[in-house]
Amino acid sequence: MKQTNNIDPPRWPLRFLRFFVKKEFLEEIEGDMEEIFRDNVEQLSYQRARWIYTWQMLTLFRPILMRNLRGIQNLAEPAMFRNYFKVSLRGLLKNPLNSFINVFGLAVAIGICVFAYAFARWTYSTDQFHEHKNSVYLATFFADRDGAIRQYGLTPRPLGEMLKQDFAQVRKMCRVEDRNVVVKHDENVFHERVRYADAEFLEMFTFPLKWGVSASLKDPNSIILSEKMSGKYFGEENPLGQSILVKFDKERGKDFKVAGVAKDFPKARSMEFDFLINFENFRSSEPGYDFHDWNAFVNATLIQVDNPSDLTTIEKGMEKYITMQHQAVKEEWAIASFAFEQLKTIHQTSDLRNAIFRSSHDDYATIIYLSFIGTFMLLLACFNYINIAIVSAARRLKEIGVRKSIGATRGTVIFQFLSENVVITSFAMIIGLILGATVFIPGFEHLWGALDLNFRLDDPTLWIYLPAILLITSIASGIYPSLYVSKFQVVGILKGSVKFGKKNPLTKVFLCMQLVLACVFITCAVMFTRNSTYLANRSWGYNQDETLYATVPDQAAFEQLSALMAQHPDVLSISGSGDHLGKKHTTAVLHLPDREYEVDQLSVDATYFETMGLEVKEGRPFNDHDESDMQAVVVNEVFVKNILSTVNGREHPVGELFRIDSIEYEVIGVVKDFHSYSFSRAVRPTIFRVAEKEGYRYLSMKVRGGKEAETYQALQARWSQLFPEIPFDGGHQEDVWGNYFKAIGIHGIVWRVFAFIAVTLAGLGLYGLITLNVAGRAREFSIRKVLGAGLKNIAANISGQYVLLFVIALAIGAPVSYAIIKLILDAAYSYHIPVDLTGVVTALSILLVVLLLTVSSQIRKVLKANPVHGLKVE
Amino acid sequence: MKKTKLGEFEELVLLTVAALQEEAYGVEIKRELEDRLKEKLSVGSIQSALKRMEEKGFLTSEFGQATQKRGGKRKRIYTATPYAHRVLAELKEIRSGLWSTIPQLANIKIVSQ
Repeated sequence: MKQTNNIDPPRWPLRFLRFFVKKEFLEEIEGDMEEIFRDNVEQLSYQRARWIYTWQMLTLFRPILMRNLRGIQNLAEPAMFRNYFKVSLRGLLKNPLNSFINVFGLAVAIGICVFAYAFARWTYSTDQFHEHKNSVYLATFFADRDGAIRQYGLTPRPLGEMLKQDFAQVRKMCRVEDRNVVVKHDENVFHERVRYADAEFLEMFTFPLKWGVSASLKDPNSIILSEKMSGKYFGEENPLGQSILVKFDKERGKDFKVAGVAKDFPKARSMEFDFLINFENFRSSEPGYDFHDWNAFVNATLIQVDNPSDLTTIEKGMEKYITMQHQAVKEEWAIASFAFEQLKTIHQTSDLRNAIFRSSHDDYATIIYLSFIGTFMLLLACFNYINIAIVSAARRLKEIGVRKSIGATRGTVIFQFLSENVVITSFAMIIGLILGATVFIPGFEHLWGALDLNFRLDDPTLWIYLPAILLITSIASGIYPSLYVSKFQVVGILKGSVKFGKKNPLTKVFLCMQLVLACVFITCAVMFTRNSTYLANRSWGYNQDETLYATVPDQAAFEQLSALMAQHPDVLSISGSGDHLGKKHTTAVLHLPDREYEVDQLSVDATYFETMGLEVKEGRPFNDHDESDMQAVVVNEVFVKNILSTVNGREHPVGELFRIDSIEYEVIGVVKDFHSYSFSRAVRPTIFRVAEKEGYRYLSMKVRGGKEAETYQALQARWSQLFPEIPFDGGHQEDVWGNYFKAIGIHGIVWRVFAFIAVTLAGLGLYGLITLNVAGRAREFSIRKVLGAGLKNIAANISGQYVLLFVIALAIGAPVSYAIIKLILDAAYSYHIPVDLTGVVTALSILLVVLLLTVSSQIRKVLKANPVHGLKVE
Repeated sequence: MKKTKLGEFEELVLLTVAALQEEAYGVEIKRELEDRLKEKLSVGSIQSALKRMEEKGFLTSEFGQATQKRGGKRKRIYTATPYAHRVLAELKEIRSGLWSTIPQLANIKIVSQ
């Protein structure tokens, strides 16, 4: 008996069979199926028999054998479907304006949804190409800075090697550190960034090579290039075996043999490399590099484990390193705890202080914005559809009446309307997909230049997403009209006693919501556009327009170059510094009685403030003679506000004392706040210290206004005359923020496009609604005209019902838009234009103009029409 | 013939039913036809043919005995009606009549093969 139990037919197909086969056939067919099944079990295998059983079950899926499932039989009538399809098509062609509004609106909204999808997919796919994304982890630590615990993606130098020795679970370990170098091959000499990494780097990360073998990274004399760099130095040819000179600094350089070229990296990545050399090269390139110094950090340490549970073991064992670190370093650098971040999700972290991995956090925020916008656009389009469907239902009363009287139930009418909707939405979806793939996505990629969202039509999830959108949209837009239209009684319809559509309150609610949404979009567009102008004109806190800078390899080079440039008539002042605004700073930890503070630190010379145009508000800048002011600092206003005044509430910070690394410093001056980096970063407490002359790495100079371009050329010319071996690296100070202003400009453009679409959709909806309304009242207006009604009367009659609606919509829309734009600007920018009423007022004016144009066009139409035609209408 | 629409496959099934006599139930019909046609048939195609012919009056059926192998479910034994026998005979006659009018053609065909 047990044995027979074991070879029962598969349960699910059997249940399914019992569900759909006609009751009177069930015993026979089930018996036949079971007999065949048992034959097959004997002759073939159990698995195979089950498979055949399932297959045979599917072949039974025929109308003649199927139970008469109520409803299904009805719907399965092909003739009925054909009729529905025909009626929908006729309806579409009969009212081209309405069909256009519906299909176009839905298509644009779906196009935006497709774009949002492509963007989200691109963002989510970041780093997912790494084969070991689940088993590779980045070591990070938490430390207390400014009274808050922060996460850092760096690691103390010795940690990596110790982890590998101490834990058997650590399969692979790799340290990563970057350095700026000069790379030379034949005539090609450029400043580059080279990445030192352990040999496991190419095993842990999936960066396949185009030429060469990954294992060659083990050889300290090998170098691996990215495809881009290979093209830059060697063109199209295969560079394997060629030698390339890397100059680490002025004295040290090394010839490397090209041992590999990586294939073009996937577009969605948070990390890549230009040049890859073995980590051991630090021994020769930086003889002072101490691999065992707990005080120093390495840019990143990554480990690979066999399975995630091993990680818990490792995490538990991290305690001893904390103790070790605490013994080795000063109190302010103490690490609170260690943590590991999985490679798969590193790109999602927002606040990891790490120089190797780029965060996609902003992109995740953008996905949320885009999904909101996509949903709102769909809503706008659906409202249009619902309104038009309700109002134009009057035209189809007879059809519904006839259908009902020849036996259609309410269900069938609802089904008819919904299926009609699916037809329209499908049209819209095809157009929307084309719009998305050929307009929105390429347009957005074009805005950003090199961006490639890698949108593909053969992506399987897209074909889950699109039908889902289709279904949701057609149900959302179709369910109410179909319920509304189908509820009327046949007798009422045929007698003509049903008053239809004109007074439906929901129509007005929907129109109201459309106007509110349009108002929000316009406000956002106006404010984002104004914000980009505002930020472009916002003061950086110093004179960025008339300043040039250049990096120098050492003090000697600085002195040669500054001596030459000082003779130039348009150069007003020259400064040397170890750090530079917008290019480089270091961080220092201050000891104050209450706690430690982390601040930005710039080491500069005495004239730096004057050269850069930094305004000294209080106290004095550094004195211009050697060895003076070595223990003095100049601070910025935020420093005073956030740190000094919270400590002792003193108004005048000059003369304040604090310690850095046990040396006492005195505040001698305060400069006005300035933006080192873009406006997207809040101004941080900053201190200036006197730079040692040997530490000069930047030369900055103030030039006569209007002479920037010529002086820049002169600077480049002098450079190549002095140092033909070293490529020039410098620029206009106003360019140091890179793409920042471009990005802000793009935000403006994107919002303007959305606002334009929203206004168009709302306007079209409004137009369609009013047109239908006026058409439905043709006879009434004709009678009014015959009885002598003039412009005033007609205008009041048509616009009357919209005035109140408009007042309500705008009364809701204005405050909502104001609140939303404030929210978005605060979330998106650290510094932005103060939110005022211009956006809202512009939105209201635009909407008012749209309404006036729409209404007046209809009034004119009524006035021009001959009343006889109106009265002749049946 | 008139309105007696009998598909080619239906005709084959009907003939099998007639040939199998007492043994004519689903699985046996399928087995027999598979042997003769030398191809696999699905339960669905056999069952739908049987049901259609029953509707058209070519077949009658009644429950037979149940077996352990069938999980205790009864067989349904099909019998061809006299009407079906008549139609089958008619069809055969029509066909042989047609064959006899084209002996040369048939020969040529055979030779050319």
